[in-house]
Amino acid sequence: MKAYVVYCHPDPGSFTAAVRDRAVDALSAAGHEVRMSDLYADGFEPSLSEPEWLDHLAPQRIHPDIVVYCENLRWCDALLFIYPTWWSGQPAMLTGWLDRVLVRGVAWELAQGATRISGRLTNVKTLVAITSHGSSKLINVIEGETGRRVIGRSLRVLCHRFARTTWLALYDVDRSTQAQREAFLDRVEHRMRRLWWSPRGLAARRW
Amino acid sequence: MRVLVVVAHPDPNSFNHTIASTAAASLAEAGHAVTLLDLYAEEFRAAMSHDERLAYHGDRPLVDPMAERHAGIVKQAEALVFVYPTWWSTVPAILKGWLERVMVPGVGFVFDENHHVRRGLTDVSRIVGISTYGSSWLYVKAIHDNGRRTLMRALRLNTALLTRRSWLALYEIDNCSLARRQAFLRRVDHKMRSL
Repeated sequence: MKAYVVYCHPDPGSFTAAVRDRAVDALSAAGHEVRMSDLYADGFEPSLSEPEWLDHLAPQRIHPDIVVYCENLRWCDALLFIYPTWWSGQPAMLTGWLDRVLVRGVAWELAQGATRISGRLTNVKTLVAITSHGSSKLINVIEGETGRRVIGRSLRVLCHRFARTTWLALYDVDRSTQAQREAFLDRVEHRMRRLWWSPRGLAARRW
Repeated sequence: MRVLVVVAHPDPNSFNHTIASTAAASLAEAGHAVTLLDLYAEEFRAAMSHDERLAYHGDRPLVDPMAERHAGIVKQAEALVFVYPTWWSTVPAILKGWLERVMVPGVGFVFDENHHVRRGLTDVSRIVGISTYGSSWLYVKAIHDNGRRTLMRALRLNTALLTRRSWLALYEIDNCSLARRQAFLRRVDHKMRSL
């Protein structure tokens, strides 16, 4: 399987970086082909510019600094996001990546006269979010778990109709012990080794 | 009341900017002290930098002068008004980045001795969100309206105990008639006058 990892954290020494290393190693060990984008290392510009906004309904060309991301999006079977949760959602860097890279013609199409977009990322059959939260699960539920819903709902509708979403989150990371963090890394590794998708398998389970 | 209006839209001729200027004018007429922050016009940097991340839990989390200036305005404010287009069900990156880089520990919230988050915006007793959507009301509800949740819940947890929240939404803006837009501006005007 072809896995595309979008990683976002400003600090190369962070726990999120350790999560990324374990996830990528596990995916490679399981025989998946892995591509990775490190948005901070790339110096990605997250704010959608005025020209991009003005032609977002009829893009004339794909902006040069998002070409690689668009190619990877069209290439992958599994799309993984690894990031810290800030203010209950994705960091601005990753929010902006979604704003700018999910362009018409790559991620969606709008048919003539239609009022709702149709997804074009039908190659994506597995969506994964791996994140850590400073606050507890309870606080995140009260806040509405917006980050989870941006990926599991808003992005999910653009993907394959049977796409599976996997949510791996470590809550309360600021107060977590070394053992808890290591257990989470093991969980990530375990899950990444078993990342698979089959329409027949899913159909057999559901119906 | 001291009111901060934050607008986040890349196009200065957008309907969002019309909404923001209408809101600011109505607030000023109603006798409030208004500050308008146009994040794109100020070229606010959305992404938190490595230095800011390292300083986040320290004594001086505000590294950038612009973020520090905005934090000063936030600390004075008694009401926060956000005007933005909803993209991918949530706030634009520049507004998300504004929350991350300005609402740092000591401004948006404080940590207690057990490293639990406690309210920081105790002077803020009104939050108003005004957003435009490409999607219909039903679709927005199904997708869970994440931008609204970010401001009305996540930010709300850090403001005064009796904070009142208001949400003004214009759905299906791409197929929106002039009459509907004008009616929406009247709603904005009315809401601001009765803040």
